[in-house]
Amino acid sequence: MAQQRTALWEADLDEDFHDVDLNLAIGSYGQNGLYDDAQPRIDETTLLVVQQQVAQQAALAQVPDAVKRFILHFHQAVLENNLAEITVAYESGWNRLTEKHYAKNEWPEAEVIAPLVNDDQIFLILYRELYYRHVYSRLQPDIDDRFHSYENSCELFNYLLNSDGPVPLELPEQWLWDIIDEFIYQFQSFCVWRLKVKSKSDDELILLADASQVWSSYSVLNVLYSLIQKSKINEHIVALQEGKSQEEITKIVGEFGVRPLYRMLGYFSIIGLLRVHSLLGDFTLALKVMENVELNQKSPFTRVTACHVTTYYYVGFCYIMLRRYPDAIRTFVSILNFILRMRQYHTRSYQYDQINKTADRMYALFAICTALSPTRVDDNISNIVKERYGEQFAKMSRGDEGIPAFEELFLYSCPKFISANPPPYEDPELFQGYIEDPPVEPAQRHLSLFLSDVRAQAPAPTLRSFLKLYTSLNATKLANFLDADEEEMVQQLMVMKQASRSVSRVESQKGLLGGEMISTSDLDFVINENMVHIAESTVGRRYAGWFIRNNEHAQRVLDTLKNSPLPVPPRPTQPAQPAKVDGVSAPANGAPKPSGQRVAWGGVKAA
Amino acid sequence: MTSATTWATPPTRTELIENLVSGVDRYNPSNVGILEDYLYHQIRSEEYDCLANLAILKLYQFNPDLHNPDVVINILIKALAALPFPDFNLCISLLDERPVTANPDEPDPLPSLLPVLQSLHNLLQQCRFPAFWTLYRSEKAESLRDNYTVEVVGFENAVREVVVRAVKAAFQRIGSQRLSSYLDLSGEELSAYAEKLGWAFDASTGVVLIPPNPDNQIESTVVQENIQLPQLVKVITHAQAA
Repeated sequence: MAQQRTALWEADLDEDFHDVDLNLAIGSYGQNGLYDDAQPRIDETTLLVVQQQVAQQAALAQVPDAVKRFILHFHQAVLENNLAEITVAYESGWNRLTEKHYAKNEWPEAEVIAPLVNDDQIFLILYRELYYRHVYSRLQPDIDDRFHSYENSCELFNYLLNSDGPVPLELPEQWLWDIIDEFIYQFQSFCVWRLKVKSKSDDELILLADASQVWSSYSVLNVLYSLIQKSKINEHIVALQEGKSQEEITKIVGEFGVRPLYRMLGYFSIIGLLRVHSLLGDFTLALKVMENVELNQKSPFTRVTACHVTTYYYVGFCYIMLRRYPDAIRTFVSILNFILRMRQYHTRSYQYDQINKTADRMYALFAICTALSPTRVDDNISNIVKERYGEQFAKMSRGDEGIPAFEELFLYSCPKFISANPPPYEDPELFQGYIEDPPVEPAQRHLSLFLSDVRAQAPAPTLRSFLKLYTSLNATKLANFLDADEEEMVQQLMVMKQASRSVSRVESQKGLLGGEMISTSDLDFVINENMVHIAESTVGRRYAGWFIRNNEHAQRVLDTLKNSPLPVPPRPTQPAQPAKVDGVSAPANGAPKPSGQRVAWGGVKAA
Repeated sequence: MTSATTWATPPTRTELIENLVSGVDRYNPSNVGILEDYLYHQIRSEEYDCLANLAILKLYQFNPDLHNPDVVINILIKALAALPFPDFNLCISLLDERPVTANPDEPDPLPSLLPVLQSLHNLLQQCRFPAFWTLYRSEKAESLRDNYTVEVVGFENAVREVVVRAVKAAFQRIGSQRLSSYLDLSGEELSAYAEKLGWAFDASTGVVLIPPNPDNQIESTVVQENIQLPQLVKVITHAQAA
């Protein structure tokens, strides 16, 4: 069965890529205005080629020497599969030169620098990968950039997936993650862009009408699934979990999966699927593809922080959409604490900003979850949430009137949703109708679904605040307090009860979809005919954590003090004085003079 | 449906369907028929498999020309009865842009029925059960009843199960009149239904007694801290080393 599937998808992939090449060829040559000639004559083409070569040589001469040296060096490092050198070039060299020479314009085109690298096609594909990423992040990609970056991604994945056997290439993990991350980002960016039908020029409309396959959802999913299957990453993870030996694993994962390049691309593709499915609004499937992945910080796949953070963000968000707030809260707390701890090491990383932005969105999501499912939660995180989103949180905790706050935070922190299909660019009639009456934007659709759930449980906070005051209360009386119809209020009580229950993952269970029903609220009640009985659970004050933390801190301070050398005596000429205080510090080295000072200083600190 | 695991993998799912739901074949448009047949099987035999139905909607999402409004409506009807779980909205999430089916011979019933289904869903979700039955029996929902829910075996009872889930979590005893309005049953039918659930019906007081379950037993508790030895290992080790 598995064999068959692989074959099916490979076939699809080939086909797609052929289509794409054709379309893109049209796209790129269209600029030259030669396409009106049905039969371009050979001498004209030759002339064009020569002209192009001359132009490219001139362009190469313009490239600063530092950049040329960098490219030569980078190429050498890739040829030698020298991971250390590649990493340096990738993480620091490229960014430094970007700041210096290309902050506001493109890097030289791949064709221009081709002579420097002996026309090494593989290197040029990798170079273009960086080239387009720079265009997307620093500049405004135009339609050609969008089409060409797609074509280049296809060439890269084609090379990786459809060569005879695994390719002899090695790249740093960070770069591999960035390749997948950027591939999905560009897909999402294209989908958002193509949805803006009104701002398209005539040329763009013609190109879009012809190119329904470019950046299609199917082609993107094909790449991700193919990488997962080639690398046998799911089998690999399962084997690791079953504690199989290295030899057994090698046998299981095959010639592709043993290579770090394929293994990591496979793993990152699973995360990529999680993301693509979330963007398309399929939150169940998003969590289902993560079936084998264990969410913990010990997994060998968590070394790329950006990937780690992305994973938790999307998993947490999917849990919100599945209305599993406790699971979402747990997911966010775990990763936000991780980010807090990592902060000191990451301030200079070029991804620090990105991680911080994602973290901020997760704080917002966390605020949403705790407003909908009030629970006792991690102090560290909730303090930061109070600082950043205290105002919104207060509104959200008040039910109906908090809807605008929910809306604000949801739109700020949700993924950039996309629709699976392009507007009907290829059909002028339908397209006209589409412009006149465009469908609701994806983000707005998901927002309104989410808000409908929020509205459904909107009466809960008010009821809760009343119930908190009683141990038992007649429903009629409660309805009077609330100035509400009794029957309606009883129905709202049932809503409140259901809102205080949620499915939540159980430790031992595999997969992210499983779980059991738990109670999430400290306030519980039951209705006996018409009498409401209320019970509240309280948590006794917790001392242990505080005690342990401070104890360990004190021990560290004491150790540091003991291990540091005593200060050099200020007046060595004076005869030694007998120490006034013994035993406070009795190190074996005989320098007792400053002890008086030390005690005084220690005394001040203790006061 | 207390465990999400049975929700994700119902025991009634066959191996064929499991392969489709969990494998890459789920994207193959030629498999849509198998999944649609399975949906109609669910409708006839009071089974429910949310993930398989989502797989149909996924195929529709990617292949708008496959879109079959009757199937979509049936999926939504099945998802209604899954409340308080969010299945209904999870399905709606996948109904992307309007499908472009401008076929005058076969008008698309979805645009007119979707608002009715959504209203029904909202009422059920807000536990406004009497209002649900009023709307469901009204003229507005006539086409839904006559063309769709009539084919869904046990639809009304499936909705009653949603009611039962809400009532048994919130009540220890409930007035029979109230219960009657929630279940849209009265007299003989009501007492028979309560009996089937094992709920004792006291005819003299008109009160129904709901057996204890984890949700209708409440207790005030004080959670005390429980310190485990491993938490103190560092402190103790240090004391020993010092």
